[in-house]
Amino acid sequence: MKTVDIVERIEGEAKLVCSWKENKISDARIEFLNFRGFEYILQNKPILDSLVYTPRICGICGQAHLKATVEALENIYENVNEALVITNKAKLLREIGLNIEIIDSHIKWFYMFIMPDIAKLSNDIKYNKYEPLKGSLWLNASRVASETIKAIAIIGGQWPHTSYMIPGGVMSDPTLFDLTSMQNYLEQAIIFFENTLGGIDFEEYLAFSNMEDFLKTNGSLIDFKNIAFKNNLEKIGKAYDSHIVLGSSSLFESGKIKIKNISKIDSSKISESSINTFKVNISKKENEYTWSKTALYANEFYETGPLSRALISNRKFIKTIHKEYQDSVFTRVLARMDELAHLLYTTKKLISKVDTSEPSFIKPKYSLNDIETAIGSSFIEASRGSLSHKVEVSKGLIKTYDVITPTVWNLGPGIKDKYGVAQKAIVGLDSISKAEIVLRSFDICSVCTTH
Amino acid sequence: MIRHKPKVVWIQAITCNGNTHSLLSSNYSRFELFLNSFDFFYHPSLTTQNSLEDVFSLKEIDFLLIEGAISSNKEFYSISNNDTLSLLEKLANKSKYIICVGSCASYGGVHAKFEENKQIKGVSDYLISWNLEKIKHPIINLTGCPVHPEWILQTLFSLKQRETIALDENKRPKEIYYGLAHHGCTRNEYFEWKVEAKSFGVKEGCLFYEQGCRAPMTHSNCNRILWNDVNSKTRAGMPCIGCTEFDFPRNNMLETKKNIGIPMDVPLGINKRAYLTLTGVAKTFKIDRLNKKLIE
Repeated sequence: MKTVDIVERIEGEAKLVCSWKENKISDARIEFLNFRGFEYILQNKPILDSLVYTPRICGICGQAHLKATVEALENIYENVNEALVITNKAKLLREIGLNIEIIDSHIKWFYMFIMPDIAKLSNDIKYNKYEPLKGSLWLNASRVASETIKAIAIIGGQWPHTSYMIPGGVMSDPTLFDLTSMQNYLEQAIIFFENTLGGIDFEEYLAFSNMEDFLKTNGSLIDFKNIAFKNNLEKIGKAYDSHIVLGSSSLFESGKIKIKNISKIDSSKISESSINTFKVNISKKENEYTWSKTALYANEFYETGPLSRALISNRKFIKTIHKEYQDSVFTRVLARMDELAHLLYTTKKLISKVDTSEPSFIKPKYSLNDIETAIGSSFIEASRGSLSHKVEVSKGLIKTYDVITPTVWNLGPGIKDKYGVAQKAIVGLDSISKAEIVLRSFDICSVCTTH
Repeated sequence: MIRHKPKVVWIQAITCNGNTHSLLSSNYSRFELFLNSFDFFYHPSLTTQNSLEDVFSLKEIDFLLIEGAISSNKEFYSISNNDTLSLLEKLANKSKYIICVGSCASYGGVHAKFEENKQIKGVSDYLISWNLEKIKHPIINLTGCPVHPEWILQTLFSLKQRETIALDENKRPKEIYYGLAHHGCTRNEYFEWKVEAKSFGVKEGCLFYEQGCRAPMTHSNCNRILWNDVNSKTRAGMPCIGCTEFDFPRNNMLETKKNIGIPMDVPLGINKRAYLTLTGVAKTFKIDRLNKKLIE
């Protein structure tokens, strides 16, 4: 038997096609049927225009694409031995902008994209507060998200879709008062964490090390935990439990984990396959079922995202939870929200480090247009995990542009007899609603997956 | 008091979802008033009560909002098994008002640059020859990449109250697009005296002369109503890239193309020779204050 489920309320749309045997899912295909061709669009465009185009790959994580582009372009300078000097201020303002976007994305994801489904698993009317457009917590989350994102507008001019980063630094020059306002906007998110999401003192939360600590909380996270455990979500959704983090920042370390051993990344081992992927203007083969490609490291599947980042960066609370509940839906969701708290803490600290007397931008001595031919690449940690960009330029124009999004690592099709990460997490489940929740636990973004 | 709440249906076609996230970043009390004043019946990423099937079975939709460009090609893009053109077809006939949210829905925008899919266009490009039964108003384009959330709210609230609004020749509300992005820019004094920004990353100087700013020829009110209630790109230091105009995205958006030291494109409606003369005159005045740091 086969069932087809259209998954909405993600960023875009996905189709989940399951085959059943003895009331269990025996095979699952995650189909992404929408392709916008950004890598094609970018070909032959003036090099710096990529800073305007790539944020538009995705309306929710555009700043990650912007940072990936600017760093790939700066990597070109390095590769032709003309490395640029980027001031500490510019580096901070880039990381701060990206972090604020991740904070905004995590708040919206929890309240708009996953909690409505989790709450539906219970009949208790006390969970009506999670109802989209009406519930008090949904509305409160939407208020806090729109307040928090103002902090990016101060340095970027607007959100979504600013391109305030440029090779050499950033375009804006905030005053000390601007930085204070940014701190204030983030403070609103911290108050929301204390009163609503966590229901516990912020500092106290950050010192958590185990489940016992967590059980002291009294907010949405504990609502999630209670419903999750009633529905065995701490037992399902397990994939390979191999993790990869390609980018690094103040909060995140790069690395990979396979069978509990953390090791360094060798970027030459990253590959992209399109065996089961549709091809542009070539008629479909029978095995091709999605526009998503497959991302592999040394020919193996790895999960990427907040859980992977918490494990590789050795964050104690999530490590303890993971030890008990592995890479289950429960751990994955909790890791994402735990990251929100750590990002708020780190980002406030980063803002206080900005020295307004430093330059925001140092003009490169050479224009990228003067470089005959060169290649640059970058690795960024975006909301949903590791993002890589690779650009080849020639005589002022982009020759090729390749993007591997986090969701390709997590949601791309399996190859040969091996399942992709999310596929692996779904096969064996006994209901479509559980399968959908498992799929959602990866924070699906269809627009990024196929770009 | 029972008030009539007009039905709003939001559909996504070929999009990055940026307009949805722009809406979610609107001023919160305005957004809350919107939720209280309209029946937000369907949005693929937000609502759970109704499915797209429920939308198909509606007899009438008051406001149909479309985010994203339209194409008849199903190989590249489909929503719940429909190509985006047939999705539009199914819903346009039921709708009293059709509002294109963002540049992609208005004329194809960034997505129309994907030339391997030749049919990517704006909503009006397809709807122009259709005979729509219920339509009460010409199609409305809210251009911008993304749209400003206030434009959506003002348009909906005005139509709810007055049923009709004045549009410009590009089907955009005149009230929003009569002025230029330039109006209200905090760098205007530098523009008047032709003092260019010495580089990116500074508060001083106008971005029109070197950094490619299109604010003097782009119809928009970004600098009057501000983004996220607090700022605008040009105030922050990012040039306007002209995202509300029909030639967006252009080439070389972050630099100014020049001819004998003068921008090739001069401010809208200004005679080139007049502009050249004025620039020459303005530049002879060396105004100290405008060449100093704002905060020493």
